[in-house]
Amino acid sequence: MTTAENPATATDTRTITLLVNGREVTRAVSTRTTLSDFLREDLDLVSVHLGCEHGVCGCCTVLFDGESVRACLMLAVQARGHEVETVESLSADQNDLHPIQQSFAEEQGLQCGFCTPAMVLRAKEILADGRERSDAEVRSDISGILCRCTGYQNIVNAVQNAGRKLSRGANGGAGTHDGVGTSAVDGAETEQATDIDRAPGFDGPAGTEQRG
Amino acid sequence: MTATQEPTAVTHGGTKPAYKYIGSDRKRVEDPRLLVGRGGYVADMKMQGLLHAAILRSPLPHARIASIDTSGAEAIPGVIAVLTGEDCKAHMNPCMNFGPSTISQYPIAVDKVRYVGECVAVVVAESRYVAEDGIEALEVEFDELPAVTNPHAALEPDAALLHDEHGSNLGYERTFEFGDITKALDDAHLVVSDTLHWGRSAGMPMETSGAIARPGTNGVLEVYCNSLNFSYLQFLVAGALRIPSNKLKMQPVAAGGSFGSKFTAHKVPTLAAFLALRTGRPVSYVEDRLDHLMNSDHHASDRYYEARMGFTEDGMITGLDVDVVDDYGAYLQFGVGTHGNALSQATGPYRFRDLRYKLRAALTNKCQQGAYRGFGSEVHNWVLERLVEQGAKKLGLAPEEIRRRNFIQPEEFPYKIPGGNVYDSGNYPEVLDRALSMIDVEHWRREKKRLREEEGRYIGLGIATTQERSVFSSTEFWFWFDEPAFPITSSPESATITIDPAGQFQLLLHCQAMWGNSPETVSTTVLAEEFGVEPESVNVSYADTSRALPGTGPGGSRYTVMVAGAVRGASRKLKKKLIDIAAHSLEVSADDLELVDGRVQVVGAPERSLGIPDLAASAYFFALNLPPGMESGLEEAYTYDHPYTTLPSADRSDLGVFYPIMGHACHIAVMEVDPDTGRCSFLDYVAVHDAGTVVNPKSLGGHVTGGSAQGLGTSLYEELAYDTEGQFNSATFLDYLVPSANEVPPFRIGHVETPSPYTEYGIKGGGEGGRMVTPSVVSAAVDDALAEYGMHVQELPVRPATIVETVQDAIDARQ
Amino acid sequence: MKPPRFLYCDPDTLEEAVALKSQHEFDALVLAGGQSLMPMLNMRLAGPEVLIDINGVTDLQHIGRINGTLEIGAGVRQSVLEAHSEAAVAVPLIAAAMPHIGHIENRHRGTVGGSIAHADAAAELPCTAVTLDAVIVVRSERGERQIAATDFFQGFLTNACEPDELVVAIRYPVTSPTAGSAFTEFARREGDFALASAGAVAEVDADGRFTSVAIGVGSITTKPVRARAIEEALLGRAATSDVIKDAARQIGDAVTLSSDMHATSRYRRHLATTVVTRAVAAAAADAQNRSAS
Repeated sequence: MTTAENPATATDTRTITLLVNGREVTRAVSTRTTLSDFLREDLDLVSVHLGCEHGVCGCCTVLFDGESVRACLMLAVQARGHEVETVESLSADQNDLHPIQQSFAEEQGLQCGFCTPAMVLRAKEILADGRERSDAEVRSDISGILCRCTGYQNIVNAVQNAGRKLSRGANGGAGTHDGVGTSAVDGAETEQATDIDRAPGFDGPAGTEQRG
Repeated sequence: MTATQEPTAVTHGGTKPAYKYIGSDRKRVEDPRLLVGRGGYVADMKMQGLLHAAILRSPLPHARIASIDTSGAEAIPGVIAVLTGEDCKAHMNPCMNFGPSTISQYPIAVDKVRYVGECVAVVVAESRYVAEDGIEALEVEFDELPAVTNPHAALEPDAALLHDEHGSNLGYERTFEFGDITKALDDAHLVVSDTLHWGRSAGMPMETSGAIARPGTNGVLEVYCNSLNFSYLQFLVAGALRIPSNKLKMQPVAAGGSFGSKFTAHKVPTLAAFLALRTGRPVSYVEDRLDHLMNSDHHASDRYYEARMGFTEDGMITGLDVDVVDDYGAYLQFGVGTHGNALSQATGPYRFRDLRYKLRAALTNKCQQGAYRGFGSEVHNWVLERLVEQGAKKLGLAPEEIRRRNFIQPEEFPYKIPGGNVYDSGNYPEVLDRALSMIDVEHWRREKKRLREEEGRYIGLGIATTQERSVFSSTEFWFWFDEPAFPITSSPESATITIDPAGQFQLLLHCQAMWGNSPETVSTTVLAEEFGVEPESVNVSYADTSRALPGTGPGGSRYTVMVAGAVRGASRKLKKKLIDIAAHSLEVSADDLELVDGRVQVVGAPERSLGIPDLAASAYFFALNLPPGMESGLEEAYTYDHPYTTLPSADRSDLGVFYPIMGHACHIAVMEVDPDTGRCSFLDYVAVHDAGTVVNPKSLGGHVTGGSAQGLGTSLYEELAYDTEGQFNSATFLDYLVPSANEVPPFRIGHVETPSPYTEYGIKGGGEGGRMVTPSVVSAAVDDALAEYGMHVQELPVRPATIVETVQDAIDARQ
Repeated sequence: MKPPRFLYCDPDTLEEAVALKSQHEFDALVLAGGQSLMPMLNMRLAGPEVLIDINGVTDLQHIGRINGTLEIGAGVRQSVLEAHSEAAVAVPLIAAAMPHIGHIENRHRGTVGGSIAHADAAAELPCTAVTLDAVIVVRSERGERQIAATDFFQGFLTNACEPDELVVAIRYPVTSPTAGSAFTEFARREGDFALASAGAVAEVDADGRFTSVAIGVGSITTKPVRARAIEEALLGRAATSDVIKDAARQIGDAVTLSSDMHATSRYRRHLATTVVTRAVAAAAADAQNRSAS
């Protein structure tokens, strides 16, 4: 809790105005309050999860002026005049999920849900260019957010599924926010015993030390 | 007491019945709320007047607390209270403890600190920010004591004692011998031996443990927490707090993952409860990541093995001799249950009869240990597979061939292993064949040679087969002791199904809430199968301890099996009531009625039927329409007891049946190792699991994949490292390396279904499997890739330095 | 893990920022992208009386060529530099190194000047600065100074700034269009700090011999260092893998970091040799490609 009345934190308080999920909000905040705590405590956007508070796990990822950042590594006061998006900006309605959220549900790209808002936001960011992505590309794209449950495969599937859904939507197909009923990959199998020479998703060793 | 005899097998008739809901890739009912960021985690709860606690973590591994000056902290505006071990000593009893009573533990260190990170003092304040200001203002004087960090040295007579009352650092010692291991090894054609160390890691969920405690009405203390199997253990927490158990109400809160880390995790809720009692205010204590890494409820197994295995000339295993020293850390809250898990499948999927298992639990100045996915059985799997691998190499057998020769055969089930546990069913050759059908190992063996010769690359193949025990029985908590304090035999699970007056379903579960597993998906799938209503239409909630029926919660891969039994049992009772009401209304015999797709109808005349809303209306509002003597309302509860457990013998020559629902898996990995950096990567990976009847293939696949990723972390990355002085080197996520999507390969998953004869629908547990295999397969593949350099994995995680230094040593030796 | 109390200042201009630094000196820390400082604040490993947030200082946001150098304002976000095509052409080593810095979420926020000023021996940008003989521009109320990168990094998380000075820009000499560049590192996970890293820029003549070579190495001692002995050994020699590997071996002697949980010192010596070998080989190959095209 970081209210202005709090004697210990009232020493340095600023009033900030920013755009959060499309709405302008104005609040007084202690200057030492992190952006993640501000979103969670002051704005009740509890989808911003605190997994490590030192910038490694990525569970607090939000879009800051459209770009993914660690909200635990920013002060709330630094968001003054900027735009912040949390997963609620896609949909906050469980009964009317955004296509990316739908894809995560269809592919079971989540288990405990703790990294999920971050993963969904990151998916939104990377899918904005409308480009299809290989398994290895998606893995690299989401590698800044740790998931402890899924082993990532279903997240990768969900991001790829969402990409297809969004591009169909963009082409006037079925993949609109409201119109998507069934998964595009309902028939996909969890095992592929055929292509033994080149396993799906294995793009060869993508070396940490081989880049550049 | 009488032992439960082998239960009558539920007949599955060889072929699985056609289910409408069970076995399909349905979406999880938990997911919509999680996808909009409303998981309801403990840190998300808001409460009027809520205070926040932060803890001062010990900077020293072993020291007497000489004094704590709290005045600086207390002077900070917004600080409400500072509590220390003195407060615990005065106002509470030691925490729940399955170990010896001479090793007691409080949530705040009393008199002594015994590991870096142990809680020295707590500041309660109006915000976490101010609480941490208070922590910085505390002044503590310590009298440093010698740190005990090596578990073998800890057992030497001159070692400093962690617990003076206990008299030694040997927390526990016992040797079990089944059969004649001396003869088995003496008679063997080949005996292989190895010295192995399984390093310390932990479940490390993305959400830490946390609890909020609030003094409620009627003197009831309410505790909201994401840990603990509280309906099982709540009274022990009440005992520690010195309050009557009916004045402690624990409410389960969904967790952001556990993997064992929150299993019976008592320190956090006990501490929050204690703080609320002392301040009279609602208090939140949510671990931050540093708290969780250093001072979590438990790290996981940290074991040093000397192990031997005998083989006949044609590769048949003759026996296994294990001598393990387990570095338990400073306390023994869990007793040695993690080794009970090892004994439940001590011989793996193999047919040998002679086994010795010697355990010494050493106390050292490290965080205590407890559960992590596999619960200690995964460590034993690794030891077993390391020895089998070595045997295969020395006998010139392919890894798949030596396993095939030793497998228990499908017709041998139920199969009683040395030690007494029973494997219910299985088809190990089929699982192996399935895995081999998904990946062409001969192709990769050729590729390995070609890539080495043509491109100078190092490819390795690993194959491992492993048991996945599931559905523990509580007898494993105490069969270690000749005179156990509390020889419990129950490990039940309960469900309550209510059809409300409008005909809608409420399902009340009596376990810990969702931990990232799929309790709501599983239970509503079963309910749907029984009543023919859509799973998504069922509302699921979790009982608090004031209402809870007997329950044990998730752990030991038991929940899917157990909740299916509970929901099916409650369904049968409730269906009978619906049919009885319908029979009375329709004036037909109940025997002539059936429940189909949410309607009770006359067999052969489905037009004569009543819907569930009609029957619900009768049950709630039209008592005169009910059969004479029937109670109003539509609610039935059922407690499903463990389907198959027996008592250990008095002399412990037979430990009884305690983990009989036995899954199985085979993993095959193709890895590439860079001998100059130590980098390990995957070219392919297949994982085939048999968890009996599969409720939801995609969910089970997700658990296999997630577990395998954790196994990969244990194998190559994760380490809760203490240095020789007892300082902790893994205090942040920069040093404790949880694998990201870049490190985890696309596991290809296959399922084989050998139903259990003892469980409802033939389901077996499958939540832990991945992690129980990956370390073995990674070790084998790394060895294979660098075989020409004599690579032999003896310690996990396999560090890049170990790989490079092994290669360099071999090169140096050649020169 | 919450930041301690501090006096927060967010100057709009460079003059204000410099004035604040001069006023508070040791008592003030400068908050740039926050990817290193914020974790230290959250863990209370840092406790400044004054925090000077320079994110609002627009004077620090420029990227452009000045007198044969590429000047990058200290406040430029790493992701902006990474995507900057002119910078990639002018100084290809930067483009090669950027993707190794943490994860994109870190680079969206992290700044060039922040990374340089933090002076972490394992960080990529300091290594590139040393490799390329970049110049660090620092300013105080006393005026502006230019400090050679090899002088700027002084030891463990220590730079050559006086307490009243602020890093305002980094100037990289523009790389010859015929030179090849490569950056190689090894970390246990992608995005982690490197256990050893190497930047290399090289030119080769028509006979495949090195005519120039610069090598910077990170994470082997308390600061990024130049591998001058290897550079000298390679000059005029054929850019073959044996030659490079042989020359690179001596970097092992420069490793001073002691063993830690991720790397023994013996391992680090071998790894340093490996990354130097690979970086130089890749730079030479890049140079040959450039000459060919």
